[in-house]
Amino acid sequence: MDSAASPNLDVATPERVALSLPVAGIGYRCLAYLIDIVLLFLFWVVAYFTFTLLVSDVLGFFEGLSGFTRTLMVVGVFATQWLYWTVCEVVMGGQTPGKRLIGIRVVRVDGSPVGVLESAVRNLVRVVDFLPGLYATGCLSMLLTRQHRRLGDLLAGTLLVREERIDLDKYTAPAAEAPAVSAASSRMRLAPEDVELILAFLTRAPQLEPAARTRLGTKLVDRYGGLGEEERATVLASPQATESFLRTRVQAER
Amino acid sequence: MATPLPAFVARRRPDWDTLKDLLARQRAGTLRLEELRTLDVLYRKAAADLAHAQTFYAGTDVHRFLNQLCGQAYGAIYQPPRERWAATLAFFRRDFPRALRANGAFVAASTGLFVLGILLGALVVLLEPRGAELLVPEHLRDFIARKEMWTDGILSVAPPNAVASGIATNNLTVIIVTFASGILLGLGTVFTLINNGVHLGSVGALCVHEGMGPKLFDFIAAHGPVELSIIVIAGGAGLMVGQALIDPGELPRGQALVLRGREAVKLVLGCAPFLALIAVVEGFVSPGDFFSSWMKGVLGLALGALFWTYLLRAGRDELA
Repeated sequence: MDSAASPNLDVATPERVALSLPVAGIGYRCLAYLIDIVLLFLFWVVAYFTFTLLVSDVLGFFEGLSGFTRTLMVVGVFATQWLYWTVCEVVMGGQTPGKRLIGIRVVRVDGSPVGVLESAVRNLVRVVDFLPGLYATGCLSMLLTRQHRRLGDLLAGTLLVREERIDLDKYTAPAAEAPAVSAASSRMRLAPEDVELILAFLTRAPQLEPAARTRLGTKLVDRYGGLGEEERATVLASPQATESFLRTRVQAER
Repeated sequence: MATPLPAFVARRRPDWDTLKDLLARQRAGTLRLEELRTLDVLYRKAAADLAHAQTFYAGTDVHRFLNQLCGQAYGAIYQPPRERWAATLAFFRRDFPRALRANGAFVAASTGLFVLGILLGALVVLLEPRGAELLVPEHLRDFIARKEMWTDGILSVAPPNAVASGIATNNLTVIIVTFASGILLGLGTVFTLINNGVHLGSVGALCVHEGMGPKLFDFIAAHGPVELSIIVIAGGAGLMVGQALIDPGELPRGQALVLRGREAVKLVLGCAPFLALIAVVEGFVSPGDFFSSWMKGVLGLALGALFWTYLLRAGRDELA
């Protein structure tokens, strides 16, 4: 719930609100990179077999083309080695296919989208970040900088931000069944943190161990319910009843 | 006290969903003008909601959701201009030569280092021919010992267009490494420049020593001037980056680096197409004896002169 552990990119927009976007750490970046190189690898497997077919074709039909395909091959190697990243980032709004799948995006340090120059810089410096092998320099730099930037990012003035999937339905989801206890009258109002706490519990409840589910549910009912002895017993009869009560409790905050 | 959280979400959610849809359509490029206006209005509303959430619901999922939504909309609205073709033209007509002239000192320094390397390599080999065993790779020494050019063999196994593209990508990789290693406090660039210089100087001197000078000249003449100029320019770009790291001036180091990096990469990107063109010359004209030596020499000088005239003159008369 609290993202204090991971650093944020703070942006002041011309509309005078402060955006604060979560920065993508080394794990996200590695995953995205792995996906990208797997894609490139698959591309090259296909290209390699097509190429060998063309060169060694039995009918001699493509023989005249082989010089041309060799040129294509050389240019293709260069493109996948150097151009792939920059072209993707410029065309796809700061993302490569791998980054899109993982849900991270390259932005400038002021939060605006990257242009050709920045993308070119950060991807040309890739060759230094890779030294002496397996991105050692890049990883070291990511671990040492506050916003997990590699040398290429430092030189280009860019960083990667994360896009989370946030479910807003939980705020408005209707209660499962009619609550056993409808409206206890004298109730304190719930602060947003309390709402968030209850909703977090409700989202996770189905995956919890039964014992933990009951224990946490009881605690929340005791804290926010303000119920009498009998009502409390009915509400705590089953986890379903408890959760249904808690959901109604949150819904009542409209 | 502010509205309770669920009520706030229920009330404002339709607007956020619409904004999300519009952003997705904007990315796909299927947005009409009036929808663009709606997007702008909705972004401003969402920004206001974000400010509200910051104050009253800090740290909740709604807050994070709005952060992300506004971040995406901000990215979509404040995009860099899209006229890529025009921008590319302007880059080569004006920006690239201008960036080069503004940073002439770095290119000069890089030329100095490169020439220093050439002199070192040549001197070592000329004064002590056995030094070649240290400086010149073995397969080249074998070729030279047989009085053959190592480049003659290339054409007999591969068609020239494949050779040319191979050379082009190889050279591009060299200039990229020369530039990028500038991030290592400039030391990488200095090393690459001197190393390449020593290599060139020692091979040249060994060829001259073995009486193959004319053959080497014959091979290098047509593409040498432009190719070496480009390596030196990339070296200048690398030195710019290194200088920003060592002596950032009045700016914080990070900012100086970003500023210099943007400027330096212009030199590298600007060189790329010329490197591809010169590789065509290197692939088709330089090897073999279809063209005589003096024709290659004249071609090389003419191309070099053209290239530097372009670099020194282009975009100068339009407002400085």
